[in-house]
Amino acid sequence: MNIKITHNWLLDYLETDATADQIREYLSLCGPSIESIEKIGNDYIYDIEVISNRIDYASVFGIAQEATAILPMFGKKAKLKSNPLKDLKFSKIKLGQGYDLKVKILNPNLVSRFTAVIYDGITIKDSPQFIKDRLSKVGIKVINNVVDISNYLMLTFGQPIHMFDYDKITGHHMIVRESKKGEKLVTLDEKEIVLPGGDVVIEDGSGKLIDLCGIMGGLNSAINSKTKRVLLFVQTYNKSKIRKTTMSTGQRTIAATFFEKGLDEERVEATTVAASELIEKYCLGKVVSKIQDIYPEKYKGKVIEIEQEKFDRLIGIKIDPKTIVTILTNLGFSVEKKDGNYSVAVPSHRKYDITMPEDLIEEVARIYGYHNIPSRLQPPAYVEQPKEMEDLFVFQNRIKIFLKHLGLNEIINYSMISLRLIEAFGLDSKKHLRLSNSISEDIEYLRISILPSLYKNIIDNTGKKEVMRFFEIGKVYLPKKDNLPDEVYKLGIAVNTDYFDLKGIVEALYKELNISDLRHPDEGRDPDIIEQNGFFMIEIDLQTLINNYHQVPKYQPISPFAVIKLDKTFELDNNMTYKMIEKKAFQSKLLQKIEVISLFENKLTLRFYYSSASENLTEETAKTELAKI
Amino acid sequence: MDFEKYKSNINSANSLKKIDELEIKFLGRNGLINELLKKIKDIPANEKKDYGQKINQLKINLLQLIEVKRKELKGKKSGEFFDSTLPGKNYPKGSLHIVSFAIEEITKIFEKIGFIRVSYPEVDWEYSAFEALNMPKGHPARDDFETSYIDYPEGSKFGKMVLTPHTSNGQNREMRRAKKPPIRMINISKCYRPNWDTTHTPMFFQFEGLCVDDNISITHLKGTLDYFAEKYFGIGTKTRLRPHHFQFTEPSFEVDVTCTVCKGTSKVNGLRCKVCKSGWLELGGTGMVHPNVLSEGGIDPKKFSGWAFGFGIERVIMMKYSLDDIRNYYSGDVRFLEQF
Repeated sequence: MNIKITHNWLLDYLETDATADQIREYLSLCGPSIESIEKIGNDYIYDIEVISNRIDYASVFGIAQEATAILPMFGKKAKLKSNPLKDLKFSKIKLGQGYDLKVKILNPNLVSRFTAVIYDGITIKDSPQFIKDRLSKVGIKVINNVVDISNYLMLTFGQPIHMFDYDKITGHHMIVRESKKGEKLVTLDEKEIVLPGGDVVIEDGSGKLIDLCGIMGGLNSAINSKTKRVLLFVQTYNKSKIRKTTMSTGQRTIAATFFEKGLDEERVEATTVAASELIEKYCLGKVVSKIQDIYPEKYKGKVIEIEQEKFDRLIGIKIDPKTIVTILTNLGFSVEKKDGNYSVAVPSHRKYDITMPEDLIEEVARIYGYHNIPSRLQPPAYVEQPKEMEDLFVFQNRIKIFLKHLGLNEIINYSMISLRLIEAFGLDSKKHLRLSNSISEDIEYLRISILPSLYKNIIDNTGKKEVMRFFEIGKVYLPKKDNLPDEVYKLGIAVNTDYFDLKGIVEALYKELNISDLRHPDEGRDPDIIEQNGFFMIEIDLQTLINNYHQVPKYQPISPFAVIKLDKTFELDNNMTYKMIEKKAFQSKLLQKIEVISLFENKLTLRFYYSSASENLTEETAKTELAKI
Repeated sequence: MDFEKYKSNINSANSLKKIDELEIKFLGRNGLINELLKKIKDIPANEKKDYGQKINQLKINLLQLIEVKRKELKGKKSGEFFDSTLPGKNYPKGSLHIVSFAIEEITKIFEKIGFIRVSYPEVDWEYSAFEALNMPKGHPARDDFETSYIDYPEGSKFGKMVLTPHTSNGQNREMRRAKKPPIRMINISKCYRPNWDTTHTPMFFQFEGLCVDDNISITHLKGTLDYFAEKYFGIGTKTRLRPHHFQFTEPSFEVDVTCTVCKGTSKVNGLRCKVCKSGWLELGGTGMVHPNVLSEGGIDPKKFSGWAFGFGIERVIMMKYSLDDIRNYYSGDVRFLEQF
């Protein structure tokens, strides 16, 4: 997630001599990444990336806390002007009486802190100018004083706030509980939400739901221009409950993106007190209740032990112990150092993300500055690559380059194909693995053959290229019982030319790899070549090619004896195919090879090469051999 | 054997017909060479070998002269117009997928510093894709809009079957295969996520580096990233680390490299570079291997440490060649593919 804050807003809490550009540069190197900075009037707007484990800095105050640790490392002054966590205590709120809220929390695991205060005499009107200005600058819609104050404080402290119209809460009861499946609630944005069950909700005295906790309030208890009494509501929730609900209902509100990451209960008090001050000042509200504050499990703190040596080993250089202590202290940790070891107490706002020594190493290393750590390659080490893995890659590459040089185009297709394509190809969808959450029916089944994809490529490219010769090397996924599928590399080739074109490509590949093609010695037509709609395709197992490959062909000594070349023309028909001629011709032990010279209609001219390994043949002997065919 | 005379006969031939005649005269059945060979029976035995060799040499020389002259005469072809500006004979070119080029290049860069390329499943158990990487049940990356699941009975031991959303499942598998450090792995593979729009395809390639050994530190990760950036993007390319968060590394970083367009200056012809933010381009995620990940791989995190990264192949191609429309990569449009 990203948040936007302004430079002047930040200066409410941060005292520094760093410029806005310096803040951007230094914070991005050592902490929150400030992705952009924009000058508006005399202020700057920072757009800041908040990484998922650091929701604690997703606020003006949170960024000020980071800045006080980071900027001094760059020689800049930086300290907090005030610390709301210390200054803003409940004791600052002047309590009132006359109104009350009865709260029942059915499951203490839902809400880690529950705080509420009631105000009377509210006047709904425009917010003061500084709030309107700052909210508009960071892109938040200005509505009225009550709503704006909630949004303003959410950005100031990173703690979302909700305000109910107190008079709309029937019986002034709140029961915090888990929803039942199918319960309904209309949220402030007038959407009816049907709850999946197990969501944190609040029910009023009459049994209706008034809040989808941590996500959005109910429309039935919303503030409007007639509102006189408001209930200020500041809570922290069980983060995984909130995440589940926001995801399953699709209500991705800003509040939810905060609550789902787990907020610091210790900030609830400061936020409540700050809200109270603004409500009294800008909404003319008076406190007419006591403060409800239910906080059953106060954070007791935790201590992590770490040795100096551990810092040095993982960072790779020795960091001065004084620097370590300064960095951690500036980040809000309390450090006790004895005999090269550190006992580090973790502050409340870091309790979720700091759990082990490596987390502290990260804190020290980043503030020290990754740019200050030298760069050097690790010492060399020899690791044996498994032969079968090496072969897969070496051969894939060899074959790809060879086919490219023959003029073929390589394609990489999605591993998933559609049911339509499977069926068009005459395959059985049940023999495929299926995705249970596919986002498109075009990519629903894991392919067991490369050919349907290549077939589709030819069809899709019709009109874009006249002569198409495509190939792909990739895995197919053959389902197995009670196990992961076999992932097998296949070579697929598809052409829109003709059978002999494809056959020639396959023969050339076999020659290139010095494999004698023994796939189907007795069949004339290559049965692996299939035809679909006039396109020709073949699929070959990569491993078969690897297994039969020879680096160099078998060496043949050069014969010192003459070779007799004889041409002969045949008329082909069903009883006289090339394969038959070839079979017969090779019954002669003197025949070395046959070459096709020409084919005109059904007249095939062949050239026969005869020679003997032991003597010079005469032309007569060769002719006798040829005549036997 | 008046070679000079024969030579001038051949060189003065002015038609193909004349050359044919000379060829018969010198090399024909009853030609000069055969006549000379017949005389060998009159040569004293001890000179026969020498004589034979001389004749053979003469034959080769005459053959060459005749061929050269013949070509020359053919080229002229009696004054016909000959356009030597025509393109040469057309040989097929074909094309490789742009990703194939990148995979080869990256593999070679890492091979040189001792990293081996491995191959691990693209369809894997939740265990290898998540638990082994310190991403327990309920982690957001495991939501079914972040990861593609297979409709298959859930295993009691390793959970559901998934299409790997990253190449990091190779980390645990390589640790288990190697059994003990040193580990120097580069894992390049297809990955899948249920996300399909102008900047995402549901299938993409990642390359994952993993190095585990005694005393591996951030300095080594930085050294390796600098090495890779200079080799792949060109000399002078710099990297920087920024803090980030990933479950399987601690500390975690995001790596930027100096913009390939403005060379890190953030200005092109005096104007702000349109490609980068402030001179840097984001490359991807990296970090020091989380102790839980080492333990799951059977490696003692007290004795060993390591670094890991996972970057997108499409991303580095985009940065290097400005090929930004990723949707063309796997749509099979030959007009895109045949350019490479």
